[in-house]
Formats: sequence, C-alpha cells, structure tokens
Amino acid sequence: MTTRLDPTVAMHLSDAAVSVELETPEMTLNIGPQHPSTHGVLRLVAKVDGERVDSVEPVIGYMHRGYEKLAEVRTYAQITALINRIDWVSGFCNEVPFVIAVERLMGIEAPERAQYIRLILAEMTRISSHLLFMSSYPLELGAPTPLMYALREREHVMDLIEGVTGGRFHPNFNRVGGVKPAAGGGSSTKKVVQDLPSGFFDGTRRAMDRVDLVCDELDTLVTGNELFRARTVGVGIIPPDKALAYGVSGPNLRASGVGFDLRKHEHILPYDDIEFEIPVGRNGDCFDRFVVRLQEIRQATRIVRQAVDRIPAGPLQAKVPRILKVPQGQCYVRAENPKGEMGYFVVSEGGRIPYRVKIRSASFSNLSILPWILAGQLIPDLVAIMGSLDFVLGDVDR
Amino acid sequence: MTESPSEAPAAAAAVAERFAGIVGSDDWSADFATPKVRVPRDGWIAAHAAAKEHAPFFSWLSAVDWSSEVAVGDPPEGEVESRFEVLSCLGDLDGNFVLLSTDLPKDDAVLPTLVDTFGGANWHEREAAEMFGIVFDGHPQLTHLYLTDEFEGYPLRKTFPLLTREVKPWPGTVDVEGMPGATGPSTENVEAAAMEGGEE
Amino acid sequence: MNFWLLVVVKVLVVAGAVMLPGALLVIFGELKISAHMQSRIGPYFAGGRFGWAQPLADGLKFMQKEDLVPAAADARVYRLAPYIVLISTVAIYVIIPFGPDLTARDLDLGVFFLLAVSSLSTLGVLMAGWSSGNKYSLMGGLRAAAQLIAYELPMVLAVVAVAVQAGTLSLGGIVQAQAHTELFGANIHLPYLITGQLLGFLIFTTASLAELARIPFDMPIAESELTMGYLTEYSGLRFTMFFLGEYAGMVAFTAIAATLYLGGWWLPGLSPEAGYMNVVGPIVLVTKVLLLSFLFIWFRWTWPRLREDQLQTLAWKWLIPLSLANIVGTALFKVIM
Repeated sequence: MTTRLDPTVAMHLSDAAVSVELETPEMTLNIGPQHPSTHGVLRLVAKVDGERVDSVEPVIGYMHRGYEKLAEVRTYAQITALINRIDWVSGFCNEVPFVIAVERLMGIEAPERAQYIRLILAEMTRISSHLLFMSSYPLELGAPTPLMYALREREHVMDLIEGVTGGRFHPNFNRVGGVKPAAGGGSSTKKVVQDLPSGFFDGTRRAMDRVDLVCDELDTLVTGNELFRARTVGVGIIPPDKALAYGVSGPNLRASGVGFDLRKHEHILPYDDIEFEIPVGRNGDCFDRFVVRLQEIRQATRIVRQAVDRIPAGPLQAKVPRILKVPQGQCYVRAENPKGEMGYFVVSEGGRIPYRVKIRSASFSNLSILPWILAGQLIPDLVAIMGSLDFVLGDVDR
Repeated sequence: MTESPSEAPAAAAAVAERFAGIVGSDDWSADFATPKVRVPRDGWIAAHAAAKEHAPFFSWLSAVDWSSEVAVGDPPEGEVESRFEVLSCLGDLDGNFVLLSTDLPKDDAVLPTLVDTFGGANWHEREAAEMFGIVFDGHPQLTHLYLTDEFEGYPLRKTFPLLTREVKPWPGTVDVEGMPGATGPSTENVEAAAMEGGEE
Repeated sequence: MNFWLLVVVKVLVVAGAVMLPGALLVIFGELKISAHMQSRIGPYFAGGRFGWAQPLADGLKFMQKEDLVPAAADARVYRLAPYIVLISTVAIYVIIPFGPDLTARDLDLGVFFLLAVSSLSTLGVLMAGWSSGNKYSLMGGLRAAAQLIAYELPMVLAVVAVAVQAGTLSLGGIVQAQAHTELFGANIHLPYLITGQLLGFLIFTTASLAELARIPFDMPIAESELTMGYLTEYSGLRFTMFFLGEYAGMVAFTAIAATLYLGGWWLPGLSPEAGYMNVVGPIVLVTKVLLLSFLFIWFRWTWPRLREDQLQTLAWKWLIPLSLANIVGTALFKVIM
C-alpha cells in the first residue's frame, strides 16, 4: 500500500528538507549498513562537503555474535566448530591457531602429515580469499569483468577444499591433535580411517596451474590498466609507523613496506621446509595492496605445489582422550590469516571448557585505521580504500 | 619442521626476560611459549612507552575477569583473587611478541589510556570498557563499540549470565514494523506467533 | 499528405520502427556480449536457445511493478524527469538520415538541433536526482550535472570541426559532402574519419560515452558507491523509461557518430545518387551503429570508472583544448586546400 502525500505538502516537505541542507556546507551521509561496498554490515557516518569527506565514524557491531562469551560455555571441540565462522571467507585458517593453542596447553604435537594437510588447506584458503578480493575490488571500482575470471578459478580451489573437508566455507576440519581422522562420528564410521580423497594431489596440481593462469590474466586486465592505476596509485597511503601503531597486519602492512610475515616467524606449521617469498610493496597505497595480494596468490600456489610433493605418510591425529580436559595455563598463538594476524589467547583453568578465550581478529585492527585514513578523501576514494583493506565484518564484529 | 614443544619455551623465556628488563619489571613468565610480563598499574603507560621502541606493533588489548564464583561456565580451579587482569600484546618485527599484564581491583577498575602511545588502542579499549566495565582515563570516546547504546550490563564479566531469548527480549524488536492490520510492533518470535495464529 | 498525418506517421515510425527495435537489439547485444566477455552464457531461457526475448521479458516485468513515489520526493518533478530524458533522446532520431530520402526531417540546422536537444537530458537527470528526496540521488544528480555539462563542450567543438569541413550544418548535407568531396583532386571519396577528423572522432566518441553516463564515465550512477545514483528511487515503468532512454541514446549517438565521421548511410565505392541507396543505406548505417555499439559495450565491461575529478580534468584540460586545436586545424586545411 503506498501512501501518497498531498502534492503541495510533499513539495514543501522536500523543499524544507533540501533547503536546510543546502544552507549548511556539510552533509551527513550515512553509508551502510546496507550498501554495495561495505563488505557486510558496516555503517559509516560520514560528514561530507560535496564530494569530500571531512570525517568518518565507523559504527560496527551489527554482526556481533559474542564469540568470546560463547567460548566460555562451550567445550573445545564445540568451539572448533564455531570459530571458522569468524572470518567466513577464510574458514579453515580461523581454526588453526586455536587448536594449536589448545595443543600447546595439553603438550601434544600433531603428527607431520596432519601438519602438512593443515598447511595445504591453509594456503588454499588463502588463495580462495585473495581471489575473492580480486573479484570484488575491481567491481567496486567499476570494472565488472575480473569478478567472473577470479571466481571461476576459485571454484576449482573450493571444490578441492570441499572434497577434503566437506565444507566450502565452514570446514570444521581441525581437531585438537591433528585433523579430522575418521570418516565421521558414530560407532559405525569411527573405525574407518579416511585419508585425503583419491585424486586430491593431481587435482591440486591442476588447480594451481589454473590459478597461476588467472593471475596472469588479472595482471593484464587489471594491474596494467591505466584507469585502474589512476584510481588506485597514490590513494590511501598508510605509512608504516601508523600501520604498526594501529595493528594493521597482513597484506596491508606488507604493502606499506614492512616485510613481516608470520609464516616465516611463527613455527606452528611446517613452513620452514618450503621455499617462498614475501611480496612487499613500496608506497602503501591501494595499488600496492592489490599487487601484494596478487603476488601472494602466486606464492601460495608455489607453497602448495611443494607441500603436495613433500607430504609424508602417517596418522592424521595424535592420541587424545575422548573427553578433552585441558590443564591449567594461558597460551597465545597467532597465525598469518589471509586478512592479517589472527590470534587466540586461551586461558584454561582445567576442565572441558576454557575460562577465557580472547580472539584477536585481523580485520578489527585493519578497520580501526579508517577514521584516520578516510578524513579528507573523496567519496570514490573512500570506496577504493575500504575495498583495498579487505576486511570482512564477521572478523571485525566477532 | 615446526618448533618442537621443547624448543619453544626456551625462546619465549628469553623474550620474556628481555622485555621484563626493558619495562623494568621482574615478574615474568613464559609458560606454553607465551612471554608474559606483569607490570604494576601505575607503571602501565611507562612500560608501554619503553616497550614501544622494541615492539612497535600493537596487537590487541583485552581483559580477563578473575573471580571464584561464576554465573557462566566452570569456576576456576582453586581460589583466585577477584580482579580484572588487563592484557596487551605487542609484537616486534623479528617475530616475537610479549603480553604485558596488570591487575585492577574490581571496585576501582580504572586504568590510564594507551591512546597517546599506540593509536590502535582506541578501539580495543572501547571494547574492553563496554565488555568489562573498565574505565580508561583520558580516552577520547569511550562509547559503545559493539553493543547498542541502551545495553545494560557488562557482558564478558563472569557475573553476566547468558540468557535465552525468553527471559530477556531482544532489544531489536522496536525496529520491526507491524504487518498491515496489526496493532503494534510485532513480537520478537514471529514464527511462534504465526504458528499460534495458524493453529487456532 | 496532410501535414499532421505525416507528422504522426513519422513519429510512429521513428519511435516504433527505429528507436524501440534498435534499443532492444542493443540491450540484447549488451547482455550477450558482456556475458561472453565474462565467460558466462547470458540469457538462454527466454525465447528459446538464444534468449532473444530477454529484453522483452524484462520490459514486461518492469511494467507490472508497483508505481512508487517516495514520501519525501517532490512528486511532480519526480514524475516528470523520466519523460524529459526519454523525449530528448527520441528527438535526436528526427534528424538522422537513413538514406538519401529517408530522414524524418532533414533540418538545415541539423547539428545545432541535435546538440541543443540532447543537452535537455541533463535537465531531466538533475530533476531526477534532486526530486528523489534521497541524499545518494542528490549526489548522483549533481555529479551528472557536472559531468554532462563538462562533456557538452568537447562534443560541440568536435562537431563544429565537421561542420567547418562539410560546409553545412544539415546531417544529410554532411553525408553528401563526404560522398562528394574529392581527395586530392582524384575521384576518391572517403569518410571524414580518414580525411582529417580522426581526432574529432575520438573526442566525439569519448564525449558521447560521458553523455550516456556509461563506464568509464558512470560516476552519476556509480553502482558501488551511490547505489544507482540518480536512479536509486526509480522502479517499474519509470525506470524502464530511463533504461530505454540510455540505450536509445546509445543508438542515437552512435548513429550520429557514424553519420558525421564514418559516412552514414554511404560507403566509399557506392554511388550516393543510385536508386538502391534507399534500401542499402539503412543497412549500411545500422551495421556501423552496431559496430560502434559493440565498441561501447566492450569499453564498459573492461575498464573501471574514472573518479569525478579525473573526469573533469579529462574534459577541461585535455578534450577542450584538443577540440579547439582540431577546429583550427580543420579550418586551416579547408582554407589552404
């Protein structure tokens, strides 16, 4: 049912509204929470003067699900099933630091094969997350075609992840002590140990070839494009000291010139046996953030190929008691998520339920720099900068 | 190979000892490869200022509510002193991190703000403030970050129970418009209301 | 024939037989070409294997939607805006020559009429943006006003160069001039694209992309920033009018570009006086229109959009000086040769 106002009343209403706004030079524009470019339910209350943004106040919390409180009433196995939903684009990578923290508290080490499987799946998740960025970022700038190319190849990677874990976005594949060993729960299937599906390694090698091809295609279509460069070079520069002070991590930090990658420092997965480089940008603008992620995809395919060649045989999970009781202690483990640094600080007071779990999510810190960086930008640049930070609201709001 | 569980603690202990020296405290631990240095409350800002040169990366800041009686989950093993423990994690560019921690009494949960030292502490302190009720002295804008403005209580405290929807109505109800013909805003449980209406 | 009857017939022919099928064909082309460029298939269901009835199906779908006028909108202006945009686009078809005798009305001031009428759409867009009562629409409307006004000038100046070279403002006359001007005294006739108006063609094409608000110049719509800009609040039949207006405008501007620069209904080698040109001419023109439309569609799906200030810099600092230089060059050439 449409309500129609009397035309003269409507005219004066809109008259009144607009004339008030036309008198003041500053307009308050509410961007989001439903908006094509905010990567979820992010609300930016922007004070704009024409096309120029004077100040921006991000309002978050629309997706706050209370993970930290929930973790105080769930057992460790139940938490593993939940946390892949924090940064849903890189589902597998969210589980890894948590199970390793619990493993450290219990003094267990996962068998080598399990660690290699974790590494392979983590890198494939990284490829999938970055390809999603490749597809959505040019779309925000107005180029609709890279979307299809990147997503087409991402499907191959997702098929592989689904073949192994059973889920595309929420794999729930890590277990304390390794990865999921049996065909499933239940007495009939528990005794059947099911390793990786047959054809996984060949399929992975083929998928990595295709991903490399699409990286070349994207290089030609996007990186070399004059208009794309005009929109991103020199836009949204984050100086390295500001990035470090705000806790910006991952490709955003590396694009600002700080060559810091947790995969080289945190020895939680067997990266030491694998040769790979860390792409580092120069200026810290949107273009560098894009190119760093593109190079990271290439490096990730390199890592996956080496891991697939090296993976040893062995069990998939160490011996853990059926009912997990984690001894008293506090442990913080962090890992290099595709979005940045993700960490879990687990405080255990004995028992099956943790006392406190603090989740350090990458996008929360990446987003906190927005009020500083968006002040004084133009609205199209606002969209370009937000897109280049590559955050996901689930990661921000937890 | 990954660091075996025997190597990691040694490296962490070295890091903890080094940072304890930098901030001027001798209360440090490195269990489970987690370097942790305790500082007194009034040395909080000074400790961070000293650590900043060696660890410029501000990772996170949060708190733990230590209390023996809990309304949610399991109580801690043994008696614990009732307090808030505020933790901040700093990282350096060589791949080390350190947790700095300080204890606050529950009836006087005030701590000076780190915003001037580390800009990134802004949002983390807002979150800790709204979740635990800790007041950060000198913070420019200590408004709610995740929770709605009308939210009562401090969710991450151990005395805050996790209630089901029937006990405490979801505050988002008032935003929902009633269907045409209904008298007022719809109830929170639309499906239940519809089912009841259908069954009758 | 009675003058008014003739007018009605011409309007029906122009709107029904030229504009509507042309726009629908280009819409279908955009759906299919963009799909294949993105490694998709595009419509394949409506109307059988090639999905040729998809634009019709979309049109019918829009027509049966609810007629919404937002409560905060200025209703009279809101309702009027789509008509202005559509009418100003349809009016261009009046002067396009499809053959030696196939023009709805070959005005002596053809070029002048074209430029004047096509700039009315700016007014319609501004009305749409302002009257929607929505801040995003307002911003889209303002961006559109700035962009459309900025790109009028290069278009006008590029066309002036053609008028100087042809010696006439009538579009039919410009085609005849291209068909009859001898090259270096020999009996070779070439379209103006080759005989000196290459720069003008490029400027005109860029300016018409901006006038149509197509990527790379679609800041007024800017889907990822302004949620459809000035079109945000329009739905149903009103949106169809804008939509149709955009594609009708694309056909119109490509037809004008073909007429001014590519020879219109004439091809080098064909005699413009022959009787069969009234049959072959439209086919030639339509082919040229489709080729240029393909180019426009290709640009849209390959490039990102320019930012507003980059847009304005391109217009004011590059296109206008270049088009002025183009006029001077053309005039010198005309005088010397």
